[in-house]
Amino acid sequence: MVCFIFILLRISPGDPSLKFVSPELSPALAQKIKESFGLDKPIFTQFVQFISNIFSGNFGVSYDFRKPVVQVIKNYLLFTVTFSLISFIIQLTVSYFLALLSIKKMNGFIDRLLGRTSLVLYAIPSFVIGVFLILIFSEKLKLLPASGLMSADAESLSGGAKLADYVLHLILPVITLSLGGIAVFYKYLRDNLDDVFNKPFVLNLYAYGLSKKEITKKHVIPGAVSPLISIAGVELGVLFSGALITEVIFGLPGMGRLTVNAILSCDYPLVIGCTFISGILIIISNFLADLLKAKLDKRLVSGILN
Amino acid sequence: MKNISLYVVLILAIIFPSCVSNKPEKNDRIVVAIPADAGSLNPLFAFSFQEVNITELLYLSLVQNEWSDSVGNVKTSPMAAKNWIWNDDSTTITVNLRDDIYWRDGHKLTAEDVIFSFDVYSDPDVQSRFFGTFNKFYLEENQHIDLKKSFESDNQFTLKIHFKPHSNPGLFDIAPPILPKHVFSNFDRKKLAQLEKGNDSVTCGPFYLYKWNPTQSIVLKADEKSFLYKPGKVKELIFKVVPDYNSRITQLKNGEIDFMENVKPDQVNDLKALNNIKIAYVKGREYDYAGWNNSNVLFSNPKVRYASTCAINREEILSEYLGNHGDLAVGPVAPIFRDFYNHDLKPIEYNPEKAKELLAAEGWKDLNQDGIIEKNGVQFSFTLNYAGGNPRREFAATVIKNNLKAIGIDVKTEPLEPGVLAEKMFTHKLNAWLAGWSVPIIMDLKPYWFSDLTLAPFNLSGYKNTEVDELLEKIDKSKAGNYKNTFYKKLQEILYKDEPVTFLYWIDNIVAYNDRLENIKITPLGSVHNCWKWSVKN
Amino acid sequence: MKKLITNRLFLLSILLLILVFRWKIVCYSFLLLFYFIKLFFTDYSVAVGQISFGLFDYFLSALLIILIPAVIIIKRNSFRFLLSGISFTSITIIFLLIIYIFAPLIATSNPEFQKNISITKLLPPFSSVNEIYSLKNRDESGAYFTLKQMVVKNSFDEHVIFADSIKVDSLITYYQKGQSHSLSISRAFHPEGQFEISRKHFLLGTDEFGRDIFSRLIYGARISITVGIFSVLITFIFGLLLGFFAGFTGGFVDSFLNRISEMFLSFPMIFLIILIIALFGNSIISIIIVLGFSGWMSLFKIVRGEIITLKEKDYFLTAKLLGVGNFNLIFLEMMPVILVPVIVNLIFQFGNVILAESALSYLGLGTGGIYPSWGSMIESGQSYITHAWWMILFPGLALFFTLFMTNSLGNRIKIVFNPRLKK
Repeated sequence: MVCFIFILLRISPGDPSLKFVSPELSPALAQKIKESFGLDKPIFTQFVQFISNIFSGNFGVSYDFRKPVVQVIKNYLLFTVTFSLISFIIQLTVSYFLALLSIKKMNGFIDRLLGRTSLVLYAIPSFVIGVFLILIFSEKLKLLPASGLMSADAESLSGGAKLADYVLHLILPVITLSLGGIAVFYKYLRDNLDDVFNKPFVLNLYAYGLSKKEITKKHVIPGAVSPLISIAGVELGVLFSGALITEVIFGLPGMGRLTVNAILSCDYPLVIGCTFISGILIIISNFLADLLKAKLDKRLVSGILN
Repeated sequence: MKNISLYVVLILAIIFPSCVSNKPEKNDRIVVAIPADAGSLNPLFAFSFQEVNITELLYLSLVQNEWSDSVGNVKTSPMAAKNWIWNDDSTTITVNLRDDIYWRDGHKLTAEDVIFSFDVYSDPDVQSRFFGTFNKFYLEENQHIDLKKSFESDNQFTLKIHFKPHSNPGLFDIAPPILPKHVFSNFDRKKLAQLEKGNDSVTCGPFYLYKWNPTQSIVLKADEKSFLYKPGKVKELIFKVVPDYNSRITQLKNGEIDFMENVKPDQVNDLKALNNIKIAYVKGREYDYAGWNNSNVLFSNPKVRYASTCAINREEILSEYLGNHGDLAVGPVAPIFRDFYNHDLKPIEYNPEKAKELLAAEGWKDLNQDGIIEKNGVQFSFTLNYAGGNPRREFAATVIKNNLKAIGIDVKTEPLEPGVLAEKMFTHKLNAWLAGWSVPIIMDLKPYWFSDLTLAPFNLSGYKNTEVDELLEKIDKSKAGNYKNTFYKKLQEILYKDEPVTFLYWIDNIVAYNDRLENIKITPLGSVHNCWKWSVKN
Repeated sequence: MKKLITNRLFLLSILLLILVFRWKIVCYSFLLLFYFIKLFFTDYSVAVGQISFGLFDYFLSALLIILIPAVIIIKRNSFRFLLSGISFTSITIIFLLIIYIFAPLIATSNPEFQKNISITKLLPPFSSVNEIYSLKNRDESGAYFTLKQMVVKNSFDEHVIFADSIKVDSLITYYQKGQSHSLSISRAFHPEGQFEISRKHFLLGTDEFGRDIFSRLIYGARISITVGIFSVLITFIFGLLLGFFAGFTGGFVDSFLNRISEMFLSFPMIFLIILIIALFGNSIISIIIVLGFSGWMSLFKIVRGEIITLKEKDYFLTAKLLGVGNFNLIFLEMMPVILVPVIVNLIFQFGNVILAESALSYLGLGTGGIYPSWGSMIESGQSYITHAWWMILFPGLALFFTLFMTNSLGNRIKIVFNPRLKK
């Protein structure tokens, strides 16, 4: 895949050294920089060098930042991983509790209300949600900051206040990012729970005289949750590769924006580095989901045997 | 269930104290909003205007450019240099340095540092911002300055610089910021560009770098040991990265930031209504233009280009988008350069009827009545490209498209990514485009309008005129004075008639700041220029 | 109640509404068509020069608005969909279809039309401004051209002037933002007195250029739906062919294609899309192709999976052993089985493509630069959010209803055709 991107970049128009052609700089400099990018060498040599670089974990030097790509990505990756993990956990917990709430009385008022709301939330694009959240909470009510990761004077704050500052800045983005996911997970989990409840073995358990609470806790939930895990794995992967739209709306320093900016400014090494890292993160999260599933299944099996 | 209540308590515990905690004292601190983080604060690699502006606060130069409103041009004043003397034929300058400048680590700034700076700036391995601009020095083959021939230093604080004969050197040639030799000489020159951020801490300017939070903020503090330091002035200067324009405005209103540039004109009235915000307009040296490919059959005729300018309602763009914070352009010389600007030329008026007549006189008529004019079977239809993501250009493109359609020219507009647009512009692949130039503070029009494209890389429209060439050569050779001014005026007159591109308007930079800031003087040289003189009202 | 109002009734009444409000344009369009045909015989070369999409758009929608009701009424019992009661989904579908086909009739002005920006910009919904319209005499060019001017809405019109207030005495004086201008009578009054002072209404307000948001919304629907349909078509062709090929042949080809699809799935698609669009230009065609191509993996997996299980089914093996030809095997035995999951997938894909297109436009990379698109309308509205909420609300709502419709349609088909989900 990375090779595919490489080829795509090389056949595309756009010349990264053109950024250094300006009235304030000399043409000689632009020429020098172009040479140092190595773009005037034949494509095949470039390709060989590129492949050997990848295997040594070296993506070269970013044209824009003029720093090794790994160093550039490091800053953004930390944020993205934290941000997406927070959002991921919130998505899972909220949807889990909502689903529990709604199966207490299947097709009851709460269930139907939540069902409708989740459908509606799922259909609103995140950029519309984000823009309206900003309008309401930071333009009109002036409660929360509209963008950025911390206030200008964050440096002078003490440890706790600094953390609070971060949290305040992250509330709106996390909501924007999580709403869609909550809707999906909720719907899926609720339908699964419903499904499992209607399975014959539940009836069997009722017959044994177990209480509904116990059945739900010990038998239904594990059965309903495990199919969710692979979906959650995919979702986590998507989050890791950067919540592009949310980052753009709220001006957050994440992988998504970094990648897009790199693409737009023809920063080839950075593009390759970003896509490579994103791909790896996706694979890792899928792998984690598989591991977890295997583990849960075993417990399920042993639980039934006991 | 237990878990979730735990979380709720935890989150509340975190948020709650912050809501009641008082903001710390903000006296003597100014927060400046910047749209993007700096890539480098090292003067070697400060490529963008913004980076240059910040590094100027950190590193001193021998001389400092100042904008003089009364003259309408740049003046040079002493900075690290106490004074200087030119020799008789202006090929050697003797500079006396101040002896009270210290680097942050206690070393004194000496002539050694100055020589070292020129050495590194012109080193081809370093690829610094100034590489290739030292044409007036004695150079080695690889454009590196010949240090032995160029510099002579009797003691720590005097320095003689020799230039090539007849190269007509000026003070601008010794203006690059000075680097600390005792720090930078420790690094491998090829890897200078890749130094970790934070190696920029040994500075000598009025400010020093206190902290740099990548992608978030750059915190500068006033250096109390600097000779520019005066008590009562700004103590801390924070450049806060706020990429989104709307958030910048919101934060300015909230007082989270104190100063921002490039306010969109439609927000000016909103901001003016607030008591705590002041607005300043800086006459621009930046203009937008609609470029026509002069070698294309559609635009090869100057009269057709003139007619296109006639048909474009520039006043409407100026009043509706720029809120009249700008001036209609007549040529490539900014009105702020008073001596050079030709005051006799009046902007071409919007007059679609006249445009139609002009075009008809040149043979462009709508014969088959499909709404598009044609000549010799060629339809007048083209695509106007502009850089996507630039609302001003988008606005102009939308208006221009409709204006030209109204006189029978079929225009499509297409936004391109800036990188792609630049590549196509520089390889002369486009027929028409919207772009802008920022006129360098030391004016040099030759790269823009000279016929020989190898000498004029910015002559993107491929304009050719021998009369213009002659004038440009004359300007190059003459010294400042009346002669040069007349040449400039004549040049503008020709460009006005030929209209190689449609000059649209000069754009004012609108700056908004909190009214607790005092002693602010903003010049075309950059908004934070001289900002160590700012102070904060208590 | 729901059962009483059938889809047919709803569709017909909407069409009737359009006819009532826009009968003038429909009639003029027919007249124009007539003149156009006449011109075709009298002055062939001029007529050829007149052929344009914009013009035929009017002819077509004028014809269809008469034909569709006629067909529906004549062939009363042919369309099963139309006979059922209305639901949210069907209402949205009917609305979108009507907007898609009859955009030129419904829209009140050209989506790009702008004039006197100072007067018309950023007007709230339901506002109106004074308009002076002088119809220039074009007798010399014939009735056709005069009529065309009245029917076809252009993105410019030199005969229209918007003003804050207008005073008519010996001169027409109009005021624009405190500045007074006057027209000499001869320019405004046609010798035959054809000039009009009226009020121009902006149903949903205007944007920063003074363009009518209602019209832009309608033409934006066209872009979204066109992109959606054609991308889905490409996805369909790609996914189906590759899936068939992989499932049918098996072996190396199968595992190779499967690997490739997994590779694409493990890659953040949005970056690839942005990469291609940023580097190769964002014309509507490239967006359709890129979005279409980016969705083939899931369809491929579905088709391949279905076919592999199908190949082991007894009835399929029997048919094969009976000597049924490959062609019949594919179209009679395989197609019906995979049809439902494929359709459900395509409907969801349709929603995804529309969302992706507007997200791209929102990022400034979509078709929005050239055509009005919902995403780009939201994007440009974001800078005016504090004083022009209508610039975001209406395209946002349109997007929401469309996506909601596709989701519920997909879910419903899934439930109806899936025997395992009985409800």
